[in-house]
Amino acid sequence: MNTTVMPAAPPPAAPHGTTAVPAPVIRVDNVSRWYGSVVAVSDISFDVGPGITGLLGPNGAGKTTLLRMMTGLAATSTGTVTMFGEPVRDNPPLYRRIGVMAEHETVYEFMKGREFVRMMAQLRGVLRLNEAVDRAIGLVDLADAQHRPIGTYSRGMRQRMRLAATLVHDPEVLVLDEPLNGADPRQRVHFRHLLERLAAEGKTIVLSSHILEEVEQVADSVLLIVNGKLAASGGFRAIRAALDQRPYHVRIVSDAPRRLAAVIVGLASVDAVNVDPDGAIVVLSRNVSDLQIELPRLAQAAGIGLRRVEPLDDSLESVFGYLVER
Amino acid sequence: MTSIYFLTLRQLSGRWRLLIIAAVAALPPLVAALPPRPSDGPAVAEFELVVLSVLLAGAVAPLVVLAIAAPALGNEIEDRTLANLALSPLPRWRIVVPKLLAVITIAGLFITMSAFVTAWFAFLGDAMAVGAVTVAALVGVALYASVFLWLGLVSSRAIGLGLLYVVVWEGFLSGYVSGVQLLSIRHYTVAVMHALDSRRFATADFVSPELTAAVVLIVFGGFFLLTVRRLRRMEVP
Repeated sequence: MNTTVMPAAPPPAAPHGTTAVPAPVIRVDNVSRWYGSVVAVSDISFDVGPGITGLLGPNGAGKTTLLRMMTGLAATSTGTVTMFGEPVRDNPPLYRRIGVMAEHETVYEFMKGREFVRMMAQLRGVLRLNEAVDRAIGLVDLADAQHRPIGTYSRGMRQRMRLAATLVHDPEVLVLDEPLNGADPRQRVHFRHLLERLAAEGKTIVLSSHILEEVEQVADSVLLIVNGKLAASGGFRAIRAALDQRPYHVRIVSDAPRRLAAVIVGLASVDAVNVDPDGAIVVLSRNVSDLQIELPRLAQAAGIGLRRVEPLDDSLESVFGYLVER
Repeated sequence: MTSIYFLTLRQLSGRWRLLIIAAVAALPPLVAALPPRPSDGPAVAEFELVVLSVLLAGAVAPLVVLAIAAPALGNEIEDRTLANLALSPLPRWRIVVPKLLAVITIAGLFITMSAFVTAWFAFLGDAMAVGAVTVAALVGVALYASVFLWLGLVSSRAIGLGLLYVVVWEGFLSGYVSGVQLLSIRHYTVAVMHALDSRRFATADFVSPELTAAVVLIVFGGFFLLTVRRLRRMEVP
């Protein structure tokens, strides 16, 4: 079942001659895509406006297929994708306004970093070439390495140089598919600040990632894709709040499992307690943060030693699965 | 367009590829340099069939062009760099034209040199004959380039399919089935040679220069348009 935490309904495009509601920059309208009998994307609709929108989902959820349709690299089976009111498919002039960083490392290894960015600028019809190339390379902080062949770059450096090539024509829309692959923590912070700066300039940024925390830090709103469907969309806090209502399974190994079960079953944060045959107990809780505080205190008071406490289902996939199945 | 042209030149100028191509392109001059050199009518006809038609136009030229043209777009699909070009605001023909020109530049360099030297040895420096063979070879390169560039875009097995085409169609069938000749690039390459120097190559009964010119334009333009169309409609990886 497709569950939308916050309505994904697009704001209606402003009627001609009025200024009521600005038209969305990107509109995805009832888009599906299938390969033979495999449905990669199923009847997805949403709008994207200026700011940073995170596209989240587990690996294989359909994010890349959706992004490829959003950028015109792939055709939709049904439905339409438009940017600035124009179809993106088979519409090359639109690429003057779009910067796309694909998931795969689409670089020419024999080229130097600066050559690559310069060529991308030429292809996009940038007029003041050197100025634009300097600016783009400066944005990703790679001026020192710009004259080295890309083949000698680390993965993180390649990603940054690709980002420079994506930004070199100063596009209004940025579509970034897993841009932080291979980036170290310092580069991630730098990237986050860069995206925030670009968003503040009014650019529309779609950022795809399978790492929830990565998107949480920068995105104004998120689109959750699971099994090719839009599982949720809207503000990040609302989605996290919805996720927090989900009961978590926590496995606890202790000196005295039955006594511990009797002690914690009365907690308000605990919905149910099961004692496994191997002596561990599995707690079902809707408020794990409270459980984290109460559990050590109660165990200490009862003289029970805790050996191990582990969540059983906190992976992103299980969270997304929960949203879809709910 | 120049950036795509120079990019393609660099992509296709790998040392091993060029060495192998050079070795293949050296075959016709080597054969032509072997004595006895043809100087009379029947010998010219025999030389034309064996060396210029079968070896140069029917084997060496298509193989060299195949090795250059099929990867020109095919490798961009394989290593996923085609997205860099497809996501540019250029009309698709402005991507195909520099690719095609780069293929013709590299393959043309080897094949026209090969044709020039072969004809020079064979016709003892007869400028008109040498010019006819060289220009005809370049026309053949352009035709094969147009076909194989398209093939590289539509199939991941372009080299295999191209080899099959060269061996079966251009090498075998067009040599024995007269109807196939009318759909053979090799045949029209030699026809160009005849049209350019009817004095030297008048012995064979070939199609008219007008038909030759029309077919050359239709094949070259047709496959060019097919490549542009494919690039517009394909799913870019």
